[in-house]
Parts: sequence; structure tokens; C-alpha cells
Amino acid sequence: MGYKVRFEPAGREMELAPDETILQGAMSAGVHINASCGGSGTCGKCKVKIIKGETTVPPMPMLQAWEVKEGYRLACMTKPLTDIVVEIPVESQIDSSVLRRERAGFAKVLSPQDIHQLVGGWTIDPTVFKRYLELPPATKEDNMSDLARIYRALKQEYGFDRVSTDFRAIKKMSKLLRDADWKVTVTMVLTRRGHKLVNIEPGDTVEKNYSIVVDIGTTTVFGQLLNLHECQVFGCPGFDVDGAERYTLAVASDYNPQISYGEDVISRIVYALKPGGLERLQEVVVRSINKIITELLKMANVERKYVSHMVIAGNTTMTQLFLGMNPRYIREDPYVPTANFLPPVRAIHAGIELGDHVHIYMFPMVASYLGGDIVSGVLGSGIFQRDDLTLYMDIGTNGEIVLGNKDWMMSASCSAGPAFEGGGIKFGMRATRGAIEQVRISPDTYEPMIMTIGRARAKGICGSGLIYMVAELLETGIIDQSGKFMHTLSTNRVRKGEDGYEYVLSWAGENAIGQDITLTEIDIDNLIRAKGAIYAGCKVLLNQADMTFNDLDRLIVAGGFGHYIDLEAAKIIGLLPDIPEEKFMFVGNGSLLGARLLSFSKDLLKEAERIANMMTNIELSNFPSFMDEYVAAMFLPHTDETAFPNIMKIIKAEKAA
Amino acid sequence: MAVEIPKRMYKGNIRPITLGVGDKAVTVGGETSLPFYLFEGERPNPPRIAMEIWDMEPEDWPEHALEPFKDVIHDPALWAKKCVEDYGAEMICMQMIGTDPNDKDIPADQAADTVLKVLDAIDGTPLIIWGTASHEKDTEVLKLICEKTHGKNLSIGPVEEGDHKAIGGSIIAYEHTCVSSSPIDINLAKQMNILLGTLGVSDEKILIDPTTGGLGYGIEYSYSVMERLMLAALTQEDERLQFPMINNMAKEVWKSKEAKITPEEDPLMGDPKKRAITIECVTALLLLLGGSDILVMRHPESIKYIREIISDFMAAN
Repeated sequence: MGYKVRFEPAGREMELAPDETILQGAMSAGVHINASCGGSGTCGKCKVKIIKGETTVPPMPMLQAWEVKEGYRLACMTKPLTDIVVEIPVESQIDSSVLRRERAGFAKVLSPQDIHQLVGGWTIDPTVFKRYLELPPATKEDNMSDLARIYRALKQEYGFDRVSTDFRAIKKMSKLLRDADWKVTVTMVLTRRGHKLVNIEPGDTVEKNYSIVVDIGTTTVFGQLLNLHECQVFGCPGFDVDGAERYTLAVASDYNPQISYGEDVISRIVYALKPGGLERLQEVVVRSINKIITELLKMANVERKYVSHMVIAGNTTMTQLFLGMNPRYIREDPYVPTANFLPPVRAIHAGIELGDHVHIYMFPMVASYLGGDIVSGVLGSGIFQRDDLTLYMDIGTNGEIVLGNKDWMMSASCSAGPAFEGGGIKFGMRATRGAIEQVRISPDTYEPMIMTIGRARAKGICGSGLIYMVAELLETGIIDQSGKFMHTLSTNRVRKGEDGYEYVLSWAGENAIGQDITLTEIDIDNLIRAKGAIYAGCKVLLNQADMTFNDLDRLIVAGGFGHYIDLEAAKIIGLLPDIPEEKFMFVGNGSLLGARLLSFSKDLLKEAERIANMMTNIELSNFPSFMDEYVAAMFLPHTDETAFPNIMKIIKAEKAA
Repeated sequence: MAVEIPKRMYKGNIRPITLGVGDKAVTVGGETSLPFYLFEGERPNPPRIAMEIWDMEPEDWPEHALEPFKDVIHDPALWAKKCVEDYGAEMICMQMIGTDPNDKDIPADQAADTVLKVLDAIDGTPLIIWGTASHEKDTEVLKLICEKTHGKNLSIGPVEEGDHKAIGGSIIAYEHTCVSSSPIDINLAKQMNILLGTLGVSDEKILIDPTTGGLGYGIEYSYSVMERLMLAALTQEDERLQFPMINNMAKEVWKSKEAKITPEEDPLMGDPKKRAITIECVTALLLLLGGSDILVMRHPESIKYIREIISDFMAAN
């Protein structure tokens, strides 16, 4: 249950969740309040007056004592304690036309509990698990070898037959058993040839069994720490991971440091073929994964030695580079990868700093340009189990798309560029603390209302902020449908900068970087190209199946561009098709979603292989219509306005207002 | 037994657009079927030919192209007058070649003066002004021309994405017609027209320049995009594409090596004049079949042939 908030003089009412600020409420209710520090309480522009009801009274150094006394609050820091009526003072609003449409927020990011809703029919049964053993000490009568003693106990206690053992475990076994007074925990792995004992630890550590899953993206590397014992993504109670309370998973990410050697997979491959290039690329990505692992363990306060499993999903090139496999033939006709199915690799052999018993499982791949990341997404989103016709879109540097259901699947990949991950955008950044993720612009004053991740002073713009931003610029008529700025508006927010025309989102004095944060025409161009490529790819893929967007039962959107994506904004810029809201679902990082499942259930390993085998990949560059669709999609929302009937209505209504 | 030829019904049609003002104003467009498919629809206004003049004396024209205009080529106004009076031009297209910043860089006010003189000389014949596609210079030159010729309903082009806001604004303000130009792509053509609409250019004031390649220099691309534009306008009722098309073809034809080469350079290529006129005619014919409504042509003899062809085509059925 939330509180009712009424905004005056607009007279708009909405319901606010108890932990949401008034500014968040105004953002989703479409009520404009000037705000330029991202919600960090430092600019003082979002001053509002509470004329009825109770609210929290946060420390507000920007306000005078008498103001606080008279009920003035900063909307970005204040939460209601009862139903309230808020008056927006004249400085913050101009007239009622500032009122904007309410925005339907997109479906939330899936929480770990939601996995069960998406993918059914599997049981929690991790490939790597631990068992506690209390062995009878060796005596003259019972004098079987230490190893045989363990085998006997495993069979008696847990029914495991024909267990094999890694030599490293055998080597340390004798002393460890005796030092631990014959009470030990063994780590077991299910392999194709049965169970294998890979590690032995003193005492009962069954509850300390962790897995690390990593998504190696072309632009960004994401990692998550999982608790295999309880089968959940590791939470960090009380630990404010990202500055935002709602973001409490142990997740860490970093730019893929290979970017310095080329922004896309092709230039990476080219670099890898230079002398020492492959080694260099492998080294830097391994270093960044190690850094992420260290960060995750620190966040969750978990000891490194208790990590016993690792799953990696990445596109084909990233996977091969990570393992130091020559990627040359991915790029040369007829474009074949070295292997679609890779055996588990010992972590230390890949340079990953984990215990020597830890193996890395690679997601199976489909083709040179369709990798384990997408198989992982398909697994994680449960498409392979459903009758519904689903389109799965993974919006990243390589936009990967899959169309199908449990019976058939087609896939394609299109090069979108790194814009959605903040790459190639002047003030672009990853979706971390300080990234502008929500924007509203007043159609009268052209002043922005911005909110950042972690409600910190703004540092830059992340992918979801970018989508929001361009949609707002278009709706308020600051840019035209080709993404070019209007030059005749009376505002100092639009100006000619060193890279051409730009919009100033945040002035130097208001943000964390000490210079104006702007969005340039070039940035908008990059975004339009990126969204155009993805939309065109979907269109061609659907055409191949003789279908249209309207035939879809469900559209699953994945991508690491932010915590959420504003559905309407994404439609306004033409990234997503104009189909009913309820058909959409946003799963966040889809690749990690599947990787988590793979850690939790050994049955799903087989499913992943089945998915990889059943996918028919089409090469978009072989379709002349792709170029045509691409050019058509490089417009806001699209050259074919009849494909966006509802969005065009919105845009035209805004213009008329 | 008589064979009945199946007829296709088109849902859309090309808008009729009137160029110029007064008695000599010309209306183009209005067709309701594919080019010359008069058995399926109507073509109330035949395709028109605009005779080309330059704003300066051309330096690289072959002898046989100069020959008909020898006495007037030094003066754009006299040149235009001759086109109208001696060769019966229904429209004039003035190429502002001399304003090219990489060439003579004639200043805007001087260019506008020349345009005014030409207007005077042609006595109401509709005039098309064609800039150099240098966005900065065109903005300067075309804006001034628009202003100085207020209300004459000139056709001003090429208006491209990069300069449409500046030039388009003047076209609206001074009541001219906009030549919406895009690089051989149906989607880009449509995007241009949407942008012009957003800017406030009336749908009565748009011509499409799909970008023209001469024979042997990409005409197949022009042809196929024109065909697609026609089909989208007629069968898909794409209202942002239902505008007449103009092809600025003369300079493409005549700058080719094949139109210029002399018998001394290559005796196997035959009579140069006949050759160049043939190339111009074949180019024009292909563009007509692609759906052109206005052809910008150079040689009086090619124009004569193409006029005959047009009247034959229009008389069929």
C-alpha cells in the first residue's frame, strides 16, 4: 500500500510507494518539477510545498529554516508518511500545460524469484554441490585407504556410485582428513562420466558453496555471485551496493578493457591476429574478470575458496578471446567458429583467480555471430518451453534477436554499436551510480528534470537515460524526426558546441564532473543508427518467417543499458515496435539470467545444448532488404509512420499542444 | 476472340503541383497510374522539359553543345530568352554553377541579380533554380533569391536534409516551391518530405528530386528508385511520396566522357554530336519511363525528339 499524492495546481493525483520520493512520483505522473542534480538534493531546484499531510524531513541544506517550517521540501529527498497534497511553486512550474502524459513504467527487472515463472520444469540441482561426511577413523580392522573410505561413505550416505576423484584432491587428502578429525566436506561435480570429487575441505562447509556467473559483452563485462546452497542470487543485506536501495544484488560490472583495442568484434579479431595481440586481449579481459570477482566477493563478504563453480556466457568472439583461441576464421568466409560446444575449462588454466578445483562452463554457441550469451538468454527467458510466439531482443553492441517458440527458433545478429551501453556517446556511461537514467523536459521552458542512478550528482548518461532523453527531445519538438536540433528555440539549453548542436542536461556547477553534460547531435545520430539496426534486424527476421510484429505473443527485451527501460520512450524512438504494452517483458541482462539457471540446475545444461542445436541462424548481410529496412528505421520513430500509429498520435498531440 | 487486358486500380495518385504564376504557369503531376499506363489511369499533365541555362559561361561544354547558344552563352538572360523564344521552352532551369565555393564563388547578391535579369527576360516562364549542393553557400544564395523573387513561385533546389531548415523557411516565407532532394533512396526521400512537412512546407509546394544518374553512370539506380517511389505513391498510398518528380539530368549526361570525346581522340566513337544527343535522349526516355514529371535538358535537338516521344506516348490509347 502506498500513499496518495496530489500535485497542485495541476490537480493530478497518483499513488506513491512508501519508499519513493515525491520527485519520482512527479516523474511518473507527468508533472514537471525542475530538477538538475539527479535527485541528490544538491541543486535545490525541486523545492515544493507540502500543503496537506505528513512527510519525512530529510536534511536539506539548500532550504532556509523558515522554509522547512512552512512545509517546503526538496521533492527529490522527501517521502510521504501519509496521503499528501503537494504544491509546486511558480519557480518549478509554469502553467498547467507543463503537465505531461503519465508514463507507463516498463515491466520491472526480474528478480531471482521470477526465474521460476519464466522457466518451468526444472529442479534445483546444481552441477557442483557439496556433501558433508563424518568418516569413521582408520583402524587396524577398518584399514581401507583414505580415498576408499570416502567412496564408501558417499555411497552409504548419499548413494553415489562410481565416483572418480581429481588428483589434486587426493594429494592433500590424508593430512586434511586427520587434521579435521575425519569430518570433511567434499565438492562434487557431475560430469558426463558420472560424479567427480574435485575438492575436500575440513569441517562442514556445505552451506558455503558459491558460483560466479559472468557475461562477457563486447562493451561491458557483468558478473554476479550466486549462493548455490540456497540457490539464489547472493543478496547483500544492508549493503548499499550501488547507492540505490532497490539495487541489492551482488552484481558488478566494468567496461570490457578490450575496447582500447577495437570497439567491435571485427576490430578485436584484427587486433588478435597481430603478433602478441591475442595474448594481450586475453590478458586484459581476464584481468577485468578477476577484478569483478574480487569486487563481488568483497561486496558479499564471501571467501574466495568457497567459490566452486563458474559459468561464462559471451558472444563467440568474446568466448574465444577469453580462452585464447585464435578467432581468425570467425571473420573469414565461410565464417566458422572453432567449436560451438566447449568442454569445462579449469579456471586457473584460463588465468582466473579461483581455487584450482573450479571449472568454468561455457555456454554453447550457435554460430560465429551468435554466441553463448544469446543461448543463455533464450534459456533464461524460457522461450524454449512455450507455445507463444516470442521475439527475444538482446540490445547490446551486437543486437541479437531470436524468434520462435518451443518448436522452432530463428536467430540473427546485427551490429548496433555500443551506444546503448554508453559507448560512442559524448557523456555516455554504464548504468552505474551517477548515470542519468530518467529525464523529462518541460515543453514550455525546455528545462529538464533528471534522475540519476543512486540519486547522486550526475556523471553522465546511461543507455536507458539516452532512450528517455531522445524521446523527450522529440516529443517537445527540440529535435525533428531525423534527430536534428531546431535552432530557433528560446532556451540556452540548446546551443552550438564544439561537436555541433547539443542540449545541456546538466550545467557544470550542478553535476559531479565539473563540466556541462550535454547530448550532441552526433550522439543522437549514433543512437538512431543503433536502434535502426536492431529494428531492421527484427523486421527482416520476421519477414523471413512471413510474420509481422503484430503476430507476436510476447516480446522479451534484454540488455544491460539500465535498471529498466521506459517502454513508451523506447517506442517513441522506434527501438521497440508499437504493439500492446502487455506483450513486453524486460529481463535485464538476459545472458546472466541463463547463466544463473545453469549454475542452479544440471538438467538445464542439456537444454542449453538443445537450444543451441535447434536455432537456425540467418545472416542479415545476405539479405538486400536489410539495408532498405535499416535506412527506413533511421528516423524517429520510423519512416513508415503507419507502423507506429499510437506513437504518431502521441507525437502529433504533443506538437499540437 | 478479343483479349481483355487486366486493369489495375491504383488507390493513390500524384499530387498536381503548379509551378510559376500567371498565364505561363505549368502544372505537373496529377497522374493516377504508372507512367503512361493511360489504359489504367489518367495523366492530366504531360511531363515537361525545362531547358537548362547556367549563371556563368560554361567552360567545359563540348563544341556541339555550345553551338546552338553561341551568340547568347555569355549572358544568362539572353540565353534564357533564346530558349523561350527560339526553342519554345515551357520552363527554364537555371544552374547556379558559378556560385560554387570551390569554383568561381559568385557572391549571393550578384547571383540574385542575375536571377532577376533572367526572370525579366523570360516573361513569366516558370523558373527552376538549382544550387550547388554546398549547404552553406546554397543557404546563402537560395535564401536571397527566394527573398528577391517573392511570390514568383520559383522551384528552388536542391533542398537537402542538411540545409532544409534554412532554405525551406525562406521558400515558405516567399511563396516558392521546394525541390526535395535525397540520395537515390526511397526511405530518405520520404524522410525529407516528412521533415519538410514538419517545417511547414505545404503539400502543394513539393517536388521530389530522387537524384539522377546519366546513362552509363548509374541511371539504373535512379530508374529503380523512381519506380519504387511511383509504386509506393500509387499502390501503398504513401502520402509523403505523392509528389511529382524532377530529374536534373542534363549536367549528368553532358559531363560524361562519352558525351564529350572528339573523333580525333577516338574515331571509333562516331559522330560526336549525334552521339551526345542520343545519350541525352536515351537518358530522358528512361527517366520518363521511370515516372519523371520534369526533365532538365540541354540540347535543342534532344529536346525536340523527347517532345515528340512525349506527345506520342500521351496520344496512345
